[in-house]
Amino acid sequence: MIRREIVLPATRTEVWDALTDPERLADWFANEVELELRPGGAASFRWGNGEERRATVTEVEDGERLAFTWDDDGSVEFTLAEDDDGTRLTVVETSPAWTTALDLQASALARV
Amino acid sequence: MSDPLNQVFSALADASRRHVLGYLADHGTASATELTGELPMTRQAVAKHLTLLSEAGLIASERSGRETRYRLTTQGAEWDERLDALRRHLKRRGGG
Repeated sequence: MIRREIVLPATRTEVWDALTDPERLADWFANEVELELRPGGAASFRWGNGEERRATVTEVEDGERLAFTWDDDGSVEFTLAEDDDGTRLTVVETSPAWTTALDLQASALARV
Repeated sequence: MSDPLNQVFSALADASRRHVLGYLADHGTASATELTGELPMTRQAVAKHLTLLSEAGLIASERSGRETRYRLTTQGAEWDERLDALRRHLKRRGGG
């Protein structure tokens, strides 16, 4: 599991907009973004190097939580919370493939 | 200073430190307090292992509110870049 937590000097509304408005996502997450902001909605991200990934939105709680699953593998969850210094953003990305790889690695190491 | 590869191997040579790495791989991040509660080690032992793992470059720490959280350096580098980009994006939009 990958987990990152940062405090951004911006309001929760501002951070939510940056995470959910395709035009704003195209300024920091990818180069071209399409996003249907509803559970079951389709999303696609294209990067300058030609890479493209598609995802399906799984959770939308206005200003609080956005989750999607990559169509190839894994899922991403964004959680927003008020903080004294702005907005605390938590990102969790999980992938079944990594879990397996890490378990194998861990069991190999345990035998050393 | 010993050479970096030696540091990595001696860091990995200890079963307790491999447990710490395994916990971080499963949970993403953890504080020293959390690791002390989850693994059969004293707080002093956890602190010593975290220092060795940090010196070997296998883990990194970050402040989160009042606590320091540790994570694997080998995982999630793309998110560090994306979140930096988000921070810059918000700064541009905020005119700051």
